[in-house]
Amino acid sequence: MVAQGYAAWLDAQLAKPASLSYVSYWDARNAALGGTTANPKAGQREVLDAFWTQAVAGEDQVRARVAYALSQIFVVSMLDSGVGNNARGMASYADMLGAKGLGRYRDLLESVALHPVMGTYLTSLHNMKENTRTGRVPDENFAREVMQLFSIGLVQLNADGSVKTSGGSPVPTYTPSDISGLAKVFTGWSYACPVSDDSCFFNGISRDSERDIDAMIKPMRAYPQFHSSSVKSFLGATVPDQGSNADPAASLKVALDTLAGHPNVGPFLARQMIQRMVTSNPSPAYVGRVASAFAAGNGDLKALVRAVLLDTEARSATGLTDASFGKLREPVLRLSAFLRAFGATSDSGGWLVGNTDGNTDSLSQTPFRAPSVFNFYRPGYVPPGGQLGLAGLVAPEMQITHESSVVGYVNYMATALQSGLGMSGYDNKASRRDVQPDFLRDTTHALRTLAATDADVPALVDQVATRLLPAPMPAALKDIIVPAVLSIAVPVANGKNQDQIESAKLNRVRTAVMLTLASPEYTVQK
Amino acid sequence: MHHDQASRRAFLRQLGAFTGLGAAAPLALNLAAMSSASAQAATDYKAVVCLFMFGGNDAYNMFLPTDSTSFANYTAVRDQAPDSIALLAPGTAPVPTAPVASPARLGGVLPIVPATARTAPGGGTQTFGLHPSLGALQTLFNSQKRLAVLANVGPLKQPTTKAQYATTGYPLPASLFSHNDQQNTWQAFAPEGATKGWGGRMADLLLSQNTRASFTAVSVAGNAVWLSGDTVRQYQMSTSGAVRMGADSGGRLFGSTTVASALERVVRNARSNHRFETDMADIHARSIDAEVALRTTLKAASDPLFGTAPVSGSYNPNNDPKLQYDNPLTGGKSSNSLAQQFQMVARMIEASSSSALGMKRQVFFVSIGGFDSHDGQNRNQADNMAKIAQALKYFDDTLGGLNLRSNVTTFTASDFGRTFTSNGDGTDHGWGSHHLIMGGAVKGGDVYGQVPVLAARNANSNNFDGSPDQISNGVMLPSTSVDQYGATLGRWMGLSDTELLSIFPNLANFSQRNLGFMA
Repeated sequence: MVAQGYAAWLDAQLAKPASLSYVSYWDARNAALGGTTANPKAGQREVLDAFWTQAVAGEDQVRARVAYALSQIFVVSMLDSGVGNNARGMASYADMLGAKGLGRYRDLLESVALHPVMGTYLTSLHNMKENTRTGRVPDENFAREVMQLFSIGLVQLNADGSVKTSGGSPVPTYTPSDISGLAKVFTGWSYACPVSDDSCFFNGISRDSERDIDAMIKPMRAYPQFHSSSVKSFLGATVPDQGSNADPAASLKVALDTLAGHPNVGPFLARQMIQRMVTSNPSPAYVGRVASAFAAGNGDLKALVRAVLLDTEARSATGLTDASFGKLREPVLRLSAFLRAFGATSDSGGWLVGNTDGNTDSLSQTPFRAPSVFNFYRPGYVPPGGQLGLAGLVAPEMQITHESSVVGYVNYMATALQSGLGMSGYDNKASRRDVQPDFLRDTTHALRTLAATDADVPALVDQVATRLLPAPMPAALKDIIVPAVLSIAVPVANGKNQDQIESAKLNRVRTAVMLTLASPEYTVQK
Repeated sequence: MHHDQASRRAFLRQLGAFTGLGAAAPLALNLAAMSSASAQAATDYKAVVCLFMFGGNDAYNMFLPTDSTSFANYTAVRDQAPDSIALLAPGTAPVPTAPVASPARLGGVLPIVPATARTAPGGGTQTFGLHPSLGALQTLFNSQKRLAVLANVGPLKQPTTKAQYATTGYPLPASLFSHNDQQNTWQAFAPEGATKGWGGRMADLLLSQNTRASFTAVSVAGNAVWLSGDTVRQYQMSTSGAVRMGADSGGRLFGSTTVASALERVVRNARSNHRFETDMADIHARSIDAEVALRTTLKAASDPLFGTAPVSGSYNPNNDPKLQYDNPLTGGKSSNSLAQQFQMVARMIEASSSSALGMKRQVFFVSIGGFDSHDGQNRNQADNMAKIAQALKYFDDTLGGLNLRSNVTTFTASDFGRTFTSNGDGTDHGWGSHHLIMGGAVKGGDVYGQVPVLAARNANSNNFDGSPDQISNGVMLPSTSVDQYGATLGRWMGLSDTELLSIFPNLANFSQRNLGFMA
């Protein structure tokens, strides 16, 4: 990579196809369990296993990383039983983010809006048109959140992401009336069936009891009979009265063109993608450069990602010493970085890391299981009471960081270093946990060799640091870790104590790794 | 930094805070009032518990007027195809064959009889009901009189009429109807990004009564800005209590106490001035120090004061019958994570109010999510209401066992109420909502604030011209502000008028600063 140069490496990465199809992976695991699409045996955990397979072993690291970042903006969550009980649909949604995440924003937005899992999560699926006689109104959930979270945000932005003000106050992007107007667009969309009749609209099964087994992965279908045909006004655009020819697709086109064409989209997305991937508090100029690249490509997400990762603010060495630059690494990414840095392998091939929701014994975060459509944390979260709060800096990942979750991360990683991670095989009866870092499974590993001799311990610590930290370990940290490692005595060989020697060597390696993983030098990414 | 030393510094800082008051504060500092607030109540213990319902609870179906005019309008608006969300009249027997959680299956709303009579729109005394899943709360209201209802409360800058609401430029809270901003506004009077909540600010002013600062504001539900003050910082616990970081019960990591000590040194100290690193180290230090303090003072969950000791094996809160509720969706018992949170609160209260930890004033935060009932409202709400009723009854029973009912007041809050209109099986975002206050010091068995008029929908729009309280889609325009709600609780905690005005930014705009629901 050093030879290629970073930009060339990035372009090669961006050109790689997806290394894994979540749906194919899930279908294979389902079949192995004896399940069918109609009667599945696989569920949520197979979606998570697919995630870790791609995250740790996938060649397309950047695409996967971008898709994961997008999953925190265009949020659906398996915590919602409507989604969690349709895990194959969730797999399909993840594939969609991977497939559309480096294309045009307008296409991604349409795929999100029409995905039945999003329809389930934000209740636009089988949303009915208004009934002016009885007073029933269309469900406004998706219309509201597609504006607030997926496209333009709450307030008007300048090109550099700064908030426009009028008379000292921010200028809202939309009003309740815009929401009501836009809500009408998202009526009359529902499941696909062999015959898309009224029964299918409501239940996903036609009057003749026929289903489409891919109903949770095919885009929602238009049902004109349930679509509002009255005039729809939103954000200055109008869908004219459609009379007796309700046309959901036509309404949708106006809505999505209007949203995608709004000048807020570039800066709104740019700032969040920078936050997901580089730093919590980008300068307005950085946001502006990224938004500009996005616009120059006519809403090009690939250009946006290139701009995020190649910008001087992201790459400059001054970031390493700026007291406000960087971000708290979210727990999932602390784990994935560790697994890659230490050549982790999966005995089963399935990467059985599983659910990591637990507060005090796990990561407090699992991919695709955010607490709500507002994600695990907010882009504008300011942690109260500390240096960040005093400086008015945002730190989204701090929103899930507190006295319990910090314990969970440390204790989870300590257990991982002790015995590996995840279930012990598909049937939980294997002799060891599925995911094993290199030094744990390989008794002749170079790190263990270094651990054998006191004089080599500083080098051991340096090697660990190289794998985990962006710069040489600060002396102050090394001065704690080296003596801690040395405090574990490696007995002199006497012909009968090889087990104790191996155990001591391994504990020395564990200590060096654990203390580095727990350090703010690691958990904070610069 | 030792946070338990902060009490004295906090006292000095609160002195400083008064000299730095903004424009809303009275010119004359009432130093006598401030010092008496610090000195008074040196012997009694008081705690306020915020139960936050995330997503926006449909208050219209939690507490509703059942007089014939109001109820007829309610039914007409909410009985919509395909899935009516209109609850049925008091006395209606449940139909066991009706769809699970449907109004017919649940039966009629549960009558509550407020001590103060109000006149119904059609004449006579107005009658009221609670959601059918709130049986335990009906008893707490009617017989035990430890539950009160506060009607139509929400964020307001100043009293607001419908006409004023419709006037461009009239001062209104920002970002109404947006979940995250209204959650923040309820807790901290500002949208997303706010860093000081009124629970924390109350705690700042009461801090000097505590021997240690660190347990003054406790969350059992993740980070909550409500608990953050100028000095006071929240302490977060899980329902499993404080867990030791990086060491077994013998203090060893990878078999070594030296390694465990080294881990502690690594995590609790920043070795640079990097702001993220510094704040991370801070959280780790607090976590470690708090666990040490609680290790010997917090009683077990299985203690009969709080739970049921298991017949065999280790205690599992999911299996503790005291923490289970009758799940209306399954017909059986399910574990109640909200009750588990209240159990942790009760354990903390017991430990904190004892001489071991010497706390006198605390604020707690618990929460339950899943209230954003855009669809499937009948099922959602039946389940949520059942959880809330069981959890509150459990907490009231437990406080009774600790003889602390009159010392602890629990109040509910939520992002907002919801629309009066239905979208076919659910509701959309609203504004004003009804809330509950429970405790031995509450003047229960009564309804406070102004009950909104439930009008008929206009013939040709979703406006409700027949009600001064309902804006488009029948969303409640609040008649009581969160400032007034909070100030009533703060007064009970021992804060003076001046102190309350310094915490609640809009309070000065309202003439009634004590809503009267506390004895």
